[in-house]
Amino acid sequence: MAQTALQSGVANTPDDTLEAFDISVHFEGLAAIDNVTIAMKNKEVFGLIGPNGAGKTTLVNVLTGFQKPTQGRVVLGGKDITGWAPHKLGRGGLARTFQAVRLFRDLPVVENLEVAAVGTGLGRREASKRALDILKWMNFEQKAFDQADTLPYGEERRVGIGRALAMSPRFLLLDEPAAGLSDAECDELMGVISRIPDRFECGVLLIEHNMRVIMGVCHRIHVIDSGKTIAEGTPDEIQANPEVIRAYLGSKSEESRA
Amino acid sequence: MLQTIIQNAVDAISLGSLFALTALGIGLIFGVMRLINFAHGDFIMVGAYALIVPSAADAAMMFIGAWPAPILVISIISVLIVVALASERVAFRPLRTADPSILLITSFALSFFLQNLVLMVYSGRPKGIPLWPNLIKPVLVGEIRIPQLHIITISVTLGLLILLVLFLKRTAIGIQMRAASEDFRMAQLLGVRGNRVIAVAFAISGLLAAVVALLFVAQTGTLSYKMGVPLVLFAFVATVVGGMGSLSGAVLGGFVVGIASVLFQAILPADMRLNDDAWVFGLILLILLVRPTGLVAVKALQERV
Amino acid sequence: MSDAAMDRPDTAAVRMVAVVRFFWTPIVLALFGLAAVVIVWASGDGVLARTITDALIRTVLVIGLYIFIGNSGVLAFGHIAFMLIGGYAAAWFTMSPFKKSFALDLPPILANNEFPLFPSAVVAGLLPALVAAIVGIPIMRLSGIAASIATFAVLAIFYTVYSNWDSWTFGASTLVGIPIYVNMWIALAWAVFAMFVAYIYQQTKFGLALRATREDPIAARAAGINIPVQRLIAFVVSAFFMGIAGVLQAHFLGSLIVNGFWLGITFLSLAMLIIGGQRSLTGAVVGVTMVSTIVELLRQVEAGVEVAGVIFELPGGFQELGLAVLMIVILIYRPAGIMGGLEVPWPFGGNRRVLAGGFTIVHAERTPASE
Repeated sequence: MAQTALQSGVANTPDDTLEAFDISVHFEGLAAIDNVTIAMKNKEVFGLIGPNGAGKTTLVNVLTGFQKPTQGRVVLGGKDITGWAPHKLGRGGLARTFQAVRLFRDLPVVENLEVAAVGTGLGRREASKRALDILKWMNFEQKAFDQADTLPYGEERRVGIGRALAMSPRFLLLDEPAAGLSDAECDELMGVISRIPDRFECGVLLIEHNMRVIMGVCHRIHVIDSGKTIAEGTPDEIQANPEVIRAYLGSKSEESRA
Repeated sequence: MLQTIIQNAVDAISLGSLFALTALGIGLIFGVMRLINFAHGDFIMVGAYALIVPSAADAAMMFIGAWPAPILVISIISVLIVVALASERVAFRPLRTADPSILLITSFALSFFLQNLVLMVYSGRPKGIPLWPNLIKPVLVGEIRIPQLHIITISVTLGLLILLVLFLKRTAIGIQMRAASEDFRMAQLLGVRGNRVIAVAFAISGLLAAVVALLFVAQTGTLSYKMGVPLVLFAFVATVVGGMGSLSGAVLGGFVVGIASVLFQAILPADMRLNDDAWVFGLILLILLVRPTGLVAVKALQERV
Repeated sequence: MSDAAMDRPDTAAVRMVAVVRFFWTPIVLALFGLAAVVIVWASGDGVLARTITDALIRTVLVIGLYIFIGNSGVLAFGHIAFMLIGGYAAAWFTMSPFKKSFALDLPPILANNEFPLFPSAVVAGLLPALVAAIVGIPIMRLSGIAASIATFAVLAIFYTVYSNWDSWTFGASTLVGIPIYVNMWIALAWAVFAMFVAYIYQQTKFGLALRATREDPIAARAAGINIPVQRLIAFVVSAFFMGIAGVLQAHFLGSLIVNGFWLGITFLSLAMLIIGGQRSLTGAVVGVTMVSTIVELLRQVEAGVEVAGVIFELPGGFQELGLAVLMIVILIYRPAGIMGGLEVPWPFGGNRRVLAGGFTIVHAERTPASE
């Protein structure tokens, strides 16, 4: 069952794009991000990788309004959204997850999703229905009414993704969803991520350290190190790129051979 | 004219010193426990009442207040250190992991408790006590008359601040306290003993309260069971204005509030003067709206996304 | 999953049960209040009637407090300002011109007129709501603790101004001559109204959105929620009820004094809410009930207790002392408050969901505040 988004009267269109041009973020003289440009399309799974501290989360924060870029523009579907507040971007179709998950702990799982749906303008009843639909799709409806802080770690992360999906996003930004998951849980995650673009008609930006997940689901990958772009291409191209191997994959062990 | 300005300035700095010391007492505990200790004003009050013989009589008889100055000072400090440590042990330690609002209400309750205890023992009538009456006498600095007490207040405050800075930067336990203020959990993992650090914070807080009590009583000459309330209110506000979690902010906030208080008193036309408290709070509101994190922003309290 | 529930026949009876189940919490709380009032009325005890009226007025106040603090998680200290504004507004509207002329010097439209009681009450409640809307716009943008202090600053400003505004408030003196009409039935009516409004609010998407901001403001913003706007809504609604509490107080005592709207009642109302459990409506009501009962008991003890023929009288201040000790003890053992964020449980078993007339009801082993 395909989901079309109706927030702000904008439906998910097949030629939707999310672009960031020449983004730089400076903290007290240090460049956390230095002239990075990315462009992603609807229904694409776009990976963002790089060593720790490379600036990946900062970039996501820029895209989702939590960080103002010192320079550069962010454009969503042709509209300049640079500097927009997070809640406005949420309503505009950009949803994200957090490394720290940040669930609404005292609320039941289903309300965690309802909140996000309500945030995009739905009434309570429709929000509830959408929340349950998504939980069902994720095979999680049996825990819908459990309080969020009773969940084990892996399930917390799933709910975080579900919450972002409840916004019927045009673009979904996942910040290290596989962190701390077992191999089996990773496989399950990969299945979920690869089914999202078609089901929700959106693009997915995936930040990850887990190479198996990245290589397994991404159509294209962008690599940054110390705030600068060092490569972009398909998984095969990236794996063969000597710069990337040197900066990142080379220092890692078995996981680099996906 | 110059005389008035300087006198007002000294007044302001002296009052600011008292607020700064009180704010510091609150700030120290907030730093290690995220607790806003509303009972701090009542610690001060208890310290003041310790000077007289416990009785409900109208006329107060000096008890500790009659002892020679050095012994008096040390005794009151000791009394308040005990009171502060006891409060921590009984009221706050069991609630250490509770919500900030719970901690706040607990400190309210403690404040209530102390006030009513004193009320029961000493009665509600304000009592006059002469503590070091000679200090009110002014001293001639050039052509300007300045009460000795103001000079003493300012110098004592300065001295304490310097000592505190040295303590926090140079001693082992001081460094541990600063670490615990930044990140309590992490400090514990690194071997800092939470209980000890918190106890030290309370002890210092008690010391500061004792100093304020003595200076305040010397200045006003009266005791009343609600005397701690305006002090803690203004000091609390000062802590927020200065930037919660920052000790230098607390001190700065204390001076800002003290100076604003005297300033408004001095410059407002007579009929508006009654409302000078309102002006001070109006200023505070303004500061908060312009700089919501307070004058000295503290990194540790800002959340990472 | 919920299909089993959906298969149940959609008869009028089933729908009615669903509605009752949806409104279960305020229904039970209202019935509890009604039962208490009926018992006191039947006993004919005038003193007890006054005590319970007082408690019901406090209920309106604390429910008002809960609407904001419980849902937003922002611990406001300045709420009594709204009670102050409402109370004196009630006096301005309803006192007879004759009585006004003794103490006050109001503009002609107020000085020469006396308006009907009920409309006056409503307008007197709306006035603090308006003030809240105005001061709330900048204040709700502040972080938790800064917002708390800012609301306190607002209270301090109003308190100081009202204390000195002799012509409108009679300054620091007691203003008397306010028409007395609030008895326990009227107080109960307002309390029940407050319960239903608070409950409906927390069920709407606004209440839900605000609770999310309480849990994690960053995630809430990412979810599309405008935090200052949501807080402002709750702040204004809450100010209305606190204003009404002031109105009821004025028409209950027949007198007002600015000093009665300062730290004592601030502490007491916050204590009631937090002891009962600030995260649920039931918590607010339980808190008022419990603390009022304790205060009453302690007052009796302070007045003199007879033990084995000997009367023990305790010195003034014992009542407050006892309350303070009790509060600390309760908080140590139930740090989330007595209700711990739960509402009134639905006693008839049953499983997950029932859809009724557009509302969704959820029942799980735990019944969190939102349902």
